[in-house]
Amino acid sequence: MLGLIGRRLLIAVPLLVVMSLLVFSLVALVPGDPAVTLAGGADASPQAVAQIRAELHLDEPFLARYWTWLGAALRLDFGKSLYSQHAVAAELAQRIPVTASLAIAVFVLVVPLALAVGVFGGLRPRGPLDRGLMFLTSFALSMPPFWVALVLIALFAINLRWLPPFGYTSFTEDPLAWLQTIIMPAVALALAALSILARQVRAGLTDTMQSAFIRTAWAKGGTTRQVVVGHALKNSAIPAVTVMGLQVGAILGGTVIVEQIFSIPGIGMYMLEAVSNKDVPVIQAVTLLFVVANVVANLAVDIAYGYLNPKVRAS
Amino acid sequence: MSVDKPGRRQGEFRRAARRFRRDPVALFPLAFIIVVAAAGIFHRALAPYDPSAQLDVSPFSGPSAEHWLGTDGLGRDTFSRILEGAGVSLRFSVLVVGVALAVAVPIGLLSGYFGRGIDVFLMRVMEAIQSFPALVLAIAIVATLGPSLLNAGIAVAVGAVPSLARLTRAQALAVREEIFLDASRAIGTPTRRILWRHLLPNVLSPLIVQASVFLGFALLAEAGLSFLGLGVQPPSASWGSMLRQATDTVLAHPWEVIPPGVAIVLTVLAFNLLGEGLRVALGSSAPPRRRGRLGMTMVAREAEPRSALTPPRDGQDLLVVDRLAVEFATPTGRVGVLDDVSFSIAPGETLGLVGESGSGKTVTSLSIMRLLPSPPGMITGGGIWFEGRDLLSLPFRDLAAVRGSGIAMVFQDPLVSLNPAMTIARQISQVVRWHRGASGDEANRLMREALELVGIPRGRAESYPHEFSGGMRQRAMIAMALVCRPRLLIADEPTTALDVTIQAQILELLRDLRAELDMAMLFVTHDLGVVADICQRVAVMYAGQIVETGDVDAVFKNPRHPYTSGLLKAMPQQAKPRSELYVIPGQVPEFATIKAGCRLASRCDFVRDTCTAREIPLIASGVNHLSRCTRTAELDLAGRS
Repeated sequence: MLGLIGRRLLIAVPLLVVMSLLVFSLVALVPGDPAVTLAGGADASPQAVAQIRAELHLDEPFLARYWTWLGAALRLDFGKSLYSQHAVAAELAQRIPVTASLAIAVFVLVVPLALAVGVFGGLRPRGPLDRGLMFLTSFALSMPPFWVALVLIALFAINLRWLPPFGYTSFTEDPLAWLQTIIMPAVALALAALSILARQVRAGLTDTMQSAFIRTAWAKGGTTRQVVVGHALKNSAIPAVTVMGLQVGAILGGTVIVEQIFSIPGIGMYMLEAVSNKDVPVIQAVTLLFVVANVVANLAVDIAYGYLNPKVRAS
Repeated sequence: MSVDKPGRRQGEFRRAARRFRRDPVALFPLAFIIVVAAAGIFHRALAPYDPSAQLDVSPFSGPSAEHWLGTDGLGRDTFSRILEGAGVSLRFSVLVVGVALAVAVPIGLLSGYFGRGIDVFLMRVMEAIQSFPALVLAIAIVATLGPSLLNAGIAVAVGAVPSLARLTRAQALAVREEIFLDASRAIGTPTRRILWRHLLPNVLSPLIVQASVFLGFALLAEAGLSFLGLGVQPPSASWGSMLRQATDTVLAHPWEVIPPGVAIVLTVLAFNLLGEGLRVALGSSAPPRRRGRLGMTMVAREAEPRSALTPPRDGQDLLVVDRLAVEFATPTGRVGVLDDVSFSIAPGETLGLVGESGSGKTVTSLSIMRLLPSPPGMITGGGIWFEGRDLLSLPFRDLAAVRGSGIAMVFQDPLVSLNPAMTIARQISQVVRWHRGASGDEANRLMREALELVGIPRGRAESYPHEFSGGMRQRAMIAMALVCRPRLLIADEPTTALDVTIQAQILELLRDLRAELDMAMLFVTHDLGVVADICQRVAVMYAGQIVETGDVDAVFKNPRHPYTSGLLKAMPQQAKPRSELYVIPGQVPEFATIKAGCRLASRCDFVRDTCTAREIPLIASGVNHLSRCTRTAELDLAGRS
């Protein structure tokens, strides 16, 4: 098992280096002279341009700049925001717990519900319940998360007045208030991931239920629960775990929009502010953070593989 | 995978189109998409108002007769803007998916066809792109290139390329291995021609399905980017930009978010359902709809009076199978696979069930514990009595109590029949816990006993199946079957998947255990030598019927059915040195083509007109010796000397 984790880390590290180079190269994509563009266009003052040039070390060669940036990033120093002049790292430290609490709420919603939907559908493929559930997941997959968010606000905040439409209270401050502010954004983000995962669980379970070792479990005298929970679920979880790993990226991406709608001061909102301000150090830092989170999620998937599939553990 | 020739492919596409035309769940979304596309293309002619004109009406008017979907904050007609947005959004999706396919398909084909260095390099690049959360990648790209519909399109297309490329690659890899490509290469067809003429048609089906799903994905992505102000710029309308505008006033005018949102949801849903319909039509397998209760073969016996079924003689027979009939559901209708199968097993007795592949012996053995999956299997007649109870009318709970405890089963291939993700120890002790509600200690004690019984060293108990050799796996399988001391063991070709020396060991083990545990056995095999070795009685199956049954000695020495005699002559042990081995001419008939009368008629040397005139019952031809042959009394058949 430790060997497996070690091997995966060996793959993850060079991947992260390549990714960081890509993230950094985003600056190079800015058309024209980046410093002039960032300072506000052709009529920007030469001082402002020079300052940005110095801030971004634009006068140095590209790879040297990348090296400096990567070295600083490894020490968790992402420079200063061009817009607010605050240190990006300090800002991130404040915002990460916010987005993390949202992401955790999403997972708490997604995993048990997806399992339930996938199992109940998958046990009777193409039965009435399965058809109904599959249509619902198709429907959920067709809804943009931000639209779900808007409809939820219109319904629960405006019509019913059950929940506050915007804002955020931290969990440590007031858990109930946190729940009230986090439930709508979490539902909006969860629907798509829930549907994708439920479909995967269903497909995996239908496959597994037809395998020979399930026949053995029946032959041993297992009840439906003993056979499904004890034998089928773990084996059908393997493809579902991969899909869950892929969903981490989608959920993180979704936070950008959903945090904006609900005025939640997390990473996503920070990213969006940075985008509208062309705040390059922030864009780089947040994008890198998302990439790292994604790579870590995939690492977790590989480790879960090892747990679920003893053959992977061994080889 | 089968060998697909382009010609046959075309036929397949035609069949798929026919299936598609008959599927309302796929046709309706397609119709809807066509309507939306038409509305988008002809919106200028169709829209009641100029979508950008600020009309002389109150803003946020809400739905009315003049303005079906109301007006927005600037007094613009919402319906007209939805129509304009349809054009913008759909054009965007089609262009993005088109561009993504144009980039991804060549990458996937090159990667899959050439493999090696090119493949590794391209797939690493794709992986790197996929490591970016798609929306974050899109936002980052648009942020640097500047907000516009074109840049949003580039961003979404870049995000879509990797998975399309990987899909193409996987298909190309599969196709590459096929014979016709080797043949093409051998006659010197240029690489380019191979790629276009052979590979592309084969990757087309999954790509069509994915393209449909990605059209929906692109539409959602456009809506998201426009919603963030990174896509379509005002004044032109897309559904996403309309939502962006509606958000600012959602607290005061919540209605505004409904029309563009519903337009997005319905269109994306249509693309998704279309993809689903295409997937079904193009024949990727959909799981069959299950029938009956989960984990139990469905029983649909025709209303036979119960008295017509032989009640078991008390205490004499452990298992009685009486006139069992099983049918399979096939795409072309129901086919009978077992007909009039009857036999009984006394306590401690071993019955051999022999026959060629496809004779129905495995179906019979699975039917006893109702382990045959439905579909396709369905028990349509007869009875199965175990210790005086009809297993075919037991509720699931009672049947589960018999399984693994009263009757246990050992399957042919232990590698796939054991759970790969569970230790051997747990798979064995579990049976005890399920049946006896035993504590962990008790279950472990019985588990260790069972392991000792089959000769697995104690230290290996915590291993997983893949860490065992084939013979050890079958020993584990046997330990699992015997841990609750069943009175009947069904062994379905337990040695077929093993090599010869191990076969002998496992047979030896079963013979010893049978005596030690005073257990009856139904031994399913195609090997007559094994039957002679281990069984007291034998039932010979052919084409879903028992054709002869009796004591092993009597049947082997004096077979009363031509098929049994043929099987005996075909035994390698019977052959004289350097003589050609006897082969029964012809083949086992397809179940769907079986006609009335003797099922062996077309292969039999002794066939007469009377053989095919009517169904033939089992006819007594000695003490406890039955044969399904009209000429059983008159024929002089070769047996084993």
